[in-house]
Formats: sequence, structure tokens, C-alpha cells
Amino acid sequence: MNAIPVLTIEDVATLDGVLGDFLKITEADLIVVIDRGGNVISQCGDMDVIDVTVIAALAAGSFAATRELARRIGEVEFNALYHQGNGSHMFMNSVDDETIMITVFGLRTTVGLVRFYSAATAQNVAEVLKLLRRTTHGLSFDAKDISAGPVFVDP
Amino acid sequence: MSIINYASREIQFKIVYYGPALCGKTTNLNYIHQRINPLNRGDLVSLATATERTLFFDFLPLNALVIKGFVTKFQLYTVPGQVIYNATRQLVLRSVDGIVFVADSQWEKMEENVESFKNLCDNLALQNMGIEEIPCVLEYNKRDLPNIAPVNYMEYVLNNRKKRLQSFEVTSSSGQNVFAALNAVSQILLHKFSKRSEAPQGAPLPIAIPIEPAVPEGRQLPA
Repeated sequence: MNAIPVLTIEDVATLDGVLGDFLKITEADLIVVIDRGGNVISQCGDMDVIDVTVIAALAAGSFAATRELARRIGEVEFNALYHQGNGSHMFMNSVDDETIMITVFGLRTTVGLVRFYSAATAQNVAEVLKLLRRTTHGLSFDAKDISAGPVFVDP
Repeated sequence: MSIINYASREIQFKIVYYGPALCGKTTNLNYIHQRINPLNRGDLVSLATATERTLFFDFLPLNALVIKGFVTKFQLYTVPGQVIYNATRQLVLRSVDGIVFVADSQWEKMEENVESFKNLCDNLALQNMGIEEIPCVLEYNKRDLPNIAPVNYMEYVLNNRKKRLQSFEVTSSSGQNVFAALNAVSQILLHKFSKRSEAPQGAPLPIAIPIEPAVPEGRQLPA
């Protein structure tokens, strides 16, 4: 039997606390924690304006694509990436080998502030995820809870 | 593999459409995007060249209610099929949960199909995964074209193993069996995480493989 790692209610509360503090102190709009495959692990902030799922997929791709650039100058990878827009910007930094943190921010704050506080936040997030990955239990479903019909219907 | 956020009760699965160049991976996603209820899907994002060739990946997020008590999100990706983009294929395969291998049924594409399938196995091996461990189905695409290999031959070339994969005759341009293949890989994937690892109900039986492949005269089997 296979099982999927689970962020428990307590883990989520801890992560939300860490991410919420970061947003409050930096006045950023949104922070998303994703794995390097592009899956969203946790998110906090204004999620109405953008599709977080798409942002996660593209950010994971962007982060991975620059790895080769980093190697050309003797680095394993870039720890952080900054995309500057006219009014909205994006800062991405590495949390651990499996995880990336994305911050979307606007004119209320600066990249310096986001960059400064993101280091400590990434460390705190990494601690939570490290504990999670050490635990052996995960979620599996009862076969009867899975719908027997087609998952997607072609009308 | 994703981590489940128990507070939001969401599960995410990543399904990658893999195959040789111009075999119809993006066409699969385009058809799914066109046909599925807009309420259950996000935008189709394509990172393509000016000539519509996939440069990085295509991405289509879908939502479904298939596990009691959870919202299940399926994230469909394609890889760039062109040989030079292997590093990109490795990136897209990261954390993959399920695979739809799209083979081009045309005779002249058979060698590319075999190379691409081998490339898939090699890239999975880099992630310490084997093709037999991951939910995977085969699409024999472009069945509407005149110069196609018989299904038995394609089975012999691509599916000749102890534990055979489910395979589908597909015409992705018209949508024939596109959803059948997607549903099959989704069901295998979901049941991988069920407490009783049983085969999904109603799954199509594998197509029988003849002892000798049905190869017309003058055709050579790939080495």
C-alpha cells in the first residue's frame, strides 16, 4: 500500500503562522510554498487575483530552468530569483532541496525587505517540512471512497 | 509526489504526457481543455515556440470530486518531444504521479516511439523510479491516418513486458479515446493510494500480444 505525506491540521497551523507573520512584516500580497515538481504545499495571502496552481507550475519551471545557468558560473543553483514588473513583482527562494517559496508583492514594499525576511521564513518552513518528511505515516484511501465512474467526462 | 494539505482537503496529482516529437501530446491537452466543463479546469498554459512546437511544457489543471471528502486536482503536463530537450523532460518529470505515453502509430515513427519510451525509462531511473512502479497507460495515436502499424505490432514493440500497460487506440485530433486514456491513468493512480490495492473496476483488458508480430512484408522490426 502506498501513502501520501500529509500536512496535519497542526502542521498547517504552524506553516500558516510562519507565512502570515512574513506577509504582515513585509506587506507582500501573497506567499506560496511549492515543491519542485510544481505542486502547491501551502499558501497565504490574496489568492483572488491570480491562479496559484498555474503560478506554482510556472515558477517551478522557471526555478529549474535557471539551474543550468547557475552551473555555467560554478554554482549548483541560484538560491533566489527576482522577477521585476511595473507594479507587481515576484521573488522566489529555495527552502530546501525539494521546496521553493514564492512571494508576490507590489508597491507597498520593497524587494530588499522581502529578500531580508524571506531567509528566516524559509528556514522556519524548512523545519516544519523536515519533521513532516521524517514521519512515516501518510494518508491512503479506502477503495470504496474512490468514485467508480469516469473521473472526467467528455460531454 | 505531492503533500496533502489536510486543512484545505486538497490532493494534487501530476500526470505527464510523454512521447516523441509531433506525436500529439499537446493535441491531447487541447482536446481535454476544449471539452471539459470550464468550471472544472483552469487555463491551458503553453510555453511554445513561434511555430507552436512545445519549448518547455504545456500545463492544464483539472479539478475532480473523486475521493470522498477531498478535492482532487490533476495537473496535466506535456514534455517537449524533440530529442534536444531531454534536460527539460527531466525537469517536467520531477514529482510525477502518472504517465500517458503517446505513441505515433505511423510506420515511419516506430523507431522514434521506441527511443522515446526508452528515454522515459532512463529519465524515470534518474528519479529512482521504474516504469512498472508508476501508473502509466499507452496511447496509440493517429489511428485515422492511412500508413499506420497494426495495434498488435505496436503492442509487440512498446508493450512487450511481463506486466503489460493498458493501451488505447486514440485519434487525438478528433478526441477518440483521449478521455478514456486520461480516465484510465487517473483511476490507476487513485487506486495506488487505496488501502486495498486492487485494480479499478471496469478497466479495459490488455490487448493480447501474438507470439509473432504482425509485420507486413518488407518491414523490419526495430532492433
